[in-house]
Amino acid sequence: MTLSHYLALSGALFTIGLFGVLTRRNIIGILMSIELMLNAANINFVAFNRFLYPGQHLGHLTVIFIITLAAAEVVVGLALVMTIYKNLKSAYVEDYNILKG
Amino acid sequence: MIEQIVFYLLAAVIVLSALGVVLLRNVMHSALSLGLCLAGVAGIFASLGSDFVFAAQILVYVGGIAVLILFVVLLAGSASDLITRQINSQWLPSLVICAAFIWSYLRITAYFSGIAAKSAPAPTVRAIAGAMLGDYAVPFELISVVLLASMTGAALFARRKEE
Amino acid sequence: MLEYVFILPLLSFAVAGIILAFGKWLPGKGASAGIAVAAWGFVQALFMFVKAMRGGLTLPYEASIPWFSFGPHQATLGVYVDGLTIAMLIVVTAVSLLVQIYSLGYMRGDPRFKRYYSYLSLFTASMLGLTVSDNMLVFFMCWELVGVCSYLLIGFWFEKPSAAYAGKKAFITTKLGDLGFLVGLLSLFYCTGTFRISQILELAHIGFIPPAAAGAAAILLFLGAVGKSAQFPLLIWLPDAMEGPSPVSALIHAATMVAAGVYMVARLYAVYILSPAAMDTVAWTGAITAFTAASMALVCFDLKRVLAFSTVSQLGYMMLALGAGGFTAGLFHLTTHAYFKALLFLAAGSVIHAVHSNDMREMGALKNKMPITYITFLLGTLALVGIPPFAGFFSKDEILAAALARSPYLYAFGAVTAALTAFYMARALVMTFHGTPKDPGKYNHAHESPPVMTGPLILLAAASVVSGWALSRHEIFARLVNFEGVLPFELRHISHGAVALYAGITAVLSMGLGAWLYKARPGIPAMLRGKFAAIAALLDRRYGLDAFFLKIVAVSDSLSAVLFSFDFNFLDAIAIDGWAWLTEKFSRLQRWFDDNIVDAAVDATGTVTLFAGRLTRRAQTGLVQNYLFFVAAAVSIFAAMAFATG
Repeated sequence: MTLSHYLALSGALFTIGLFGVLTRRNIIGILMSIELMLNAANINFVAFNRFLYPGQHLGHLTVIFIITLAAAEVVVGLALVMTIYKNLKSAYVEDYNILKG
Repeated sequence: MIEQIVFYLLAAVIVLSALGVVLLRNVMHSALSLGLCLAGVAGIFASLGSDFVFAAQILVYVGGIAVLILFVVLLAGSASDLITRQINSQWLPSLVICAAFIWSYLRITAYFSGIAAKSAPAPTVRAIAGAMLGDYAVPFELISVVLLASMTGAALFARRKEE
Repeated sequence: MLEYVFILPLLSFAVAGIILAFGKWLPGKGASAGIAVAAWGFVQALFMFVKAMRGGLTLPYEASIPWFSFGPHQATLGVYVDGLTIAMLIVVTAVSLLVQIYSLGYMRGDPRFKRYYSYLSLFTASMLGLTVSDNMLVFFMCWELVGVCSYLLIGFWFEKPSAAYAGKKAFITTKLGDLGFLVGLLSLFYCTGTFRISQILELAHIGFIPPAAAGAAAILLFLGAVGKSAQFPLLIWLPDAMEGPSPVSALIHAATMVAAGVYMVARLYAVYILSPAAMDTVAWTGAITAFTAASMALVCFDLKRVLAFSTVSQLGYMMLALGAGGFTAGLFHLTTHAYFKALLFLAAGSVIHAVHSNDMREMGALKNKMPITYITFLLGTLALVGIPPFAGFFSKDEILAAALARSPYLYAFGAVTAALTAFYMARALVMTFHGTPKDPGKYNHAHESPPVMTGPLILLAAASVVSGWALSRHEIFARLVNFEGVLPFELRHISHGAVALYAGITAVLSMGLGAWLYKARPGIPAMLRGKFAAIAALLDRRYGLDAFFLKIVAVSDSLSAVLFSFDFNFLDAIAIDGWAWLTEKFSRLQRWFDDNIVDAAVDATGTVTLFAGRLTRRAQTGLVQNYLFFVAAAVSIFAAMAFATG
């Protein structure tokens, strides 16, 4: 297996995530798509570390930090989603436009 | 040979479940599909020999985030979700953009074609632990502060307001 | 002592203001203040005179402070004192003092008593300022102030239309001459580059000023004197000036206003003697004035107007003397004339105060009722006529001598005028004080004036009697005014004694004739008057001078009517209105352009902006995925561009 295989896989995953962010109406779906994109990035980091810099661990460390931040992001994001849902009674982002002039 | 089989299998699981996350009408199914996808990514990490990252992926993503999202879906979901369209109207231009993006991306991957692993993967836990408590102690502590802050913030947001 | 001269006019000005503002609370309603200042000025002038005679003063004295600068020139405020100034100061302060004292009685009970004294002080102050000024600018200012004061005082009883008219007439007529004065002043400045009198005199003395320029400037300046000193042909205002209170007439005629013109000529005499033409102009104007005024006095029945004509006539004498080269004679006459003419006016005022009439035909035999007034008037008359040894004899004799030395024709004018003067003064004296009462009611009502009025009369009478004799002793006056200069013409050698003898004899004979005619044979003058009615009428009409000036006014009126119609029908109609029409059309065009081009451009800008806004507003959907879409599109497009080639 070569590096480009993994890169292609992460590219596919990222693009799917991107498509989801752009098209999902549900706010939770958007959050999930963001997770997909983050995972695609993680795959890249680990693959580069494995193939280009074997014996070093900076890629792994970065991935761990990203996972941690993703956890934090999801926690805060979901809390916000719940608050918004309680106020607006909607999970659809096209309804989240009360800041529109 | 077995390596190829594992990779393509995992890749198929990841791509399909990712498509499921994005395209499934039921958010509940999307969340479950997300769990599957994250597990597939964990498998990829394992196949790359990153044992610690594999463990973290399973613990945090599959065990934490995916479950959390499932909870929220259960709390916030409504019956209308199942019958209304879950894809918005800009899906076609988005598809074009995604196609352009993947085309550019594949151009990049072409630079790295033909690079194979030079050695067998070695265990990484000891080295990562040394780095975290050594050179990277400060970012490690900072990330723990971020976690604490996000936890506090989430509790604050989710708190039921006394009126 | 000379260092304090500048205080005198300033104090006088201040007192004028003080009386006007605070007179109500001052003793004598402010009269005391004016009198005190005049008295102090007189005492100071007298001291200066005595000291100058003893040689204790270095003359001329000059001191000044800078006033303002223009270009390289500097105007100053200062004093210039020489013998001429001292002589003038004595005259002005003495007459002003006595007139103010006299006015206490004459103006008693007048509703504008306070204002009257304020004006008198202002008048005195202006004259003092004019006298001591060291430069022609201040001189001119005071000169004009004198004109203003004369206007105020002649028209003092402005309820009378004739008084208001006379005030205006005096002001406007003198203003006519002042125009020449101003032009002359500026041409003098052009020649010399300075307004300072001492420098002008110095430059004239060393011959820096070209004679032609000096002559032109001198004649223009003399125009001012013609107006101020009522010379021919601008003498018309002075008889009308009799509308003012009698003490004012005395002040104007003796010491202040009319003397200003003579003083000006004397002050700039060094300029005048550069040009024979200017000297001749002065001399002949004086001679003609002297004769015409004297002839007018022959037929006048108004007591004060007779005196007014006599003043004009005597002023003519002074000018004649100055023009003929008799500098000392002219100023000497100015001094003596000030005393006896003030005396005559004050005495006439006393008479008028008693009988409430100016018309001599309503008087007569008043000597019984008003002995002091009669005696003083008689002394004044004798002095004016030139009977030896009274004051007028000495001065007039010198003038006639100077005139003869210059030209026999000038002398002829002077001699005839002297005879006429004696005659009309005898006539006035007789008609007023002798004979029988013409108007019994007025005669019975008449009474002697109070001491406050007769006191000044007596003092002036004393001055009239002795001043001529006293001042001509040891050449006192000549030494005081101290003329140094070379006349532009040769004077003939004449016998002074012969002239004096002839003048004395003429005066006595002429006066005797007048007295005899009007006292013993009153029919003869009436018969003559009937026989030569045309001449009498001509004299009564003052040779038509008034009519002449009225004609000028009428002509300028019609000229201005023509100009007006030209202005109204041509300039206004075509130039102004046409221009307005054009302007209106043009502005309509401009408005169209503004509306359709400029505004349209502005509107178009707005419209374009509006549509651009409407267009771009669509991007602002408020949908977060829309924004993300744009971000992603941008990223992918840039990425595609970056990797399309490589």
